Amino acid sequence: MEPVALAERSRTGARHNGPTIEAWDLSRRFGEVWALDGVSFEARPGEVIALLGPNGAGKTTTVRLLDGVLLPDRGGARVLGLDPVTEGTAVRRRTGVLTEAGGLDDRLSLVENLVTYARIRGLPAADAKRRALELLDRFGMAGQAGRSAQGLSTGERKRVALARAMLHRPEVLFLDEPTSGLDPAATRDVLELIGTLAFDQGTTVVLCTHFLAEAARLCRRVAILERGRLLAFGAPAELAARLWTGLPVDLDLAGPADDRRLAILGALPGVMSVAPSPQGATVVLPGREFIRDLVATLVAAGAPIFGVIPRPPTLEDVYFALTGRDGAES
Amino acid sequence: MTAVGRGNADAPDWAAIRAVISKDFQAVRRSKAVVLPMLLVPFFLLVVLPFGIGLAARSVSSPDLHGVLAKLPGDFARPILRQPPREQLVILVDGYLLAPLFLIVPLMVASVLAADTFAGEKERRTLEGLLHLPISERDLFYAKVAGAWLPAVAISWLGFVVFAVVANGVAWPIVHRIFVPTALWGVMILWLAPAVAAFGMGIMVRVSARARTAQEANQLGGAVILPLIFAAVAQSTGLLLVSLPLALAIGGVVWILAVALLSRGAARFTRDRLAAAG
Repeated sequence: MEPVALAERSRTGARHNGPTIEAWDLSRRFGEVWALDGVSFEARPGEVIALLGPNGAGKTTTVRLLDGVLLPDRGGARVLGLDPVTEGTAVRRRTGVLTEAGGLDDRLSLVENLVTYARIRGLPAADAKRRALELLDRFGMAGQAGRSAQGLSTGERKRVALARAMLHRPEVLFLDEPTSGLDPAATRDVLELIGTLAFDQGTTVVLCTHFLAEAARLCRRVAILERGRLLAFGAPAELAARLWTGLPVDLDLAGPADDRRLAILGALPGVMSVAPSPQGATVVLPGREFIRDLVATLVAAGAPIFGVIPRPPTLEDVYFALTGRDGAES
Repeated sequence: MTAVGRGNADAPDWAAIRAVISKDFQAVRRSKAVVLPMLLVPFFLLVVLPFGIGLAARSVSSPDLHGVLAKLPGDFARPILRQPPREQLVILVDGYLLAPLFLIVPLMVASVLAADTFAGEKERRTLEGLLHLPISERDLFYAKVAGAWLPAVAISWLGFVVFAVVANGVAWPIVHRIFVPTALWGVMILWLAPAVAAFGMGIMVRVSARARTAQEANQLGGAVILPLIFAAVAQSTGLLLVSLPLALAIGGVVWILAVALLSRGAARFTRDRLAAAG
């Protein structure tokens, strides 16, 4: 972690011991519709958690509630040990937010966009400008610091907005769809940055996204939301274990297994279930340790086996199993 | 780098307030769509009109205003009737009739700027970012009000200086003295113009809460300007005369209304309400 950041943190008070974010029964209604209904989860220091769900799932509402921008109708939260309802300003002083729209003022230059926020956050003018230029440089936008935000590509806007969210070295970073609209290279850069912030600098990151791949890459735990309700919260492997028992293993038998072969497979020790696949069959075993015996038995029986691929459930499997959707959004 | 300590949470955060005002001012200065309409009306009222009246007075040897002045109450007409006939037109128009009309300037400028700073932030989708900053709702609201009110008053005062130069300069060959500002102008400039600007702000804050774009807010807020124009027309036809004490009293009432509207606007300017509406 950067020494300056450490120094700043010591001034904001002792770092909170325990979860950085705790939310319990967090609920918010707009009119008759519950945008968020009884959501509970937590995030630890330096952890990246994902709020996963389609549009309207309640991801942005959750961020607004955690940052004290919206007030809950039920339940509550603590962020860095502070109550966002009664200590909202103190919370926002230590959090940074990348909103989905980015929110750059097109009539200001890039550096002015950053300096304004830095000044509102209490940085003296000279420091604000220096920090703004430093971050624009870090995000590859230093050469355009003086240009208006109008006409920037989506990816450039995201980068500048992300730089703006990091001006004060926040302890918690809320990122609402940080990679939407980015090209693959920019997406990779942003994901690497998020990883660096969390793993190297101890920043807690709440990542709102509907891209499952980036959540799987960065997050140890995910919260899956749909229509304001929390379907599940935890590590993808834990969630999978709750949904399914056993480890699916694809067997390459040089062609779909017929009924006779399926019956033989089903009778082998440890095999919990078996189903045909285009290459052969998929068996479900109690665990990885059963693979060796399975292969040995098949080889001893002279079965034509060309490949064995364990296929533990992915975050994608978990997500679609919980939401009941097809794979179109992955 | 240091993050400035903010001390008492109830004390205004002046650095943040200044930053918001400065941001709004910089942004508006670069927006032709905001600046042009804001300057065109003052230019017409405070430059073209006195210039035309002055030229008209100079070209007509002795305009007969007795008919007009005779319809006005004695207190109002007497000081004008005491002037030489050639001077009566410019003194009547520039010295008296334009004064209430001038109030359109602070009202309009404040309205346009308020629509831009409140409804415009929603339209540009820049409001949410501000809501996530560590600035109190009260400080953000009054920074935005000040960011529109101060330029409105400054433009009004600057416009008046230009008006005085044009009116006195064009009429100099027939009047031979500085006749603007009059006492009525003094009250208009120093007392009523700031009040009217604040009143316009108060109305536009309410209107902007319902509008989705600055243009929509301007259209809704246009209803604010009409009563004032009617008042000005009424003044010129003698239906409603603004004497000095009346101008002071009207100013007081407008200030009370403005403070009430802005206080109500401040109470409703909450993050929760703004984010929920967005």
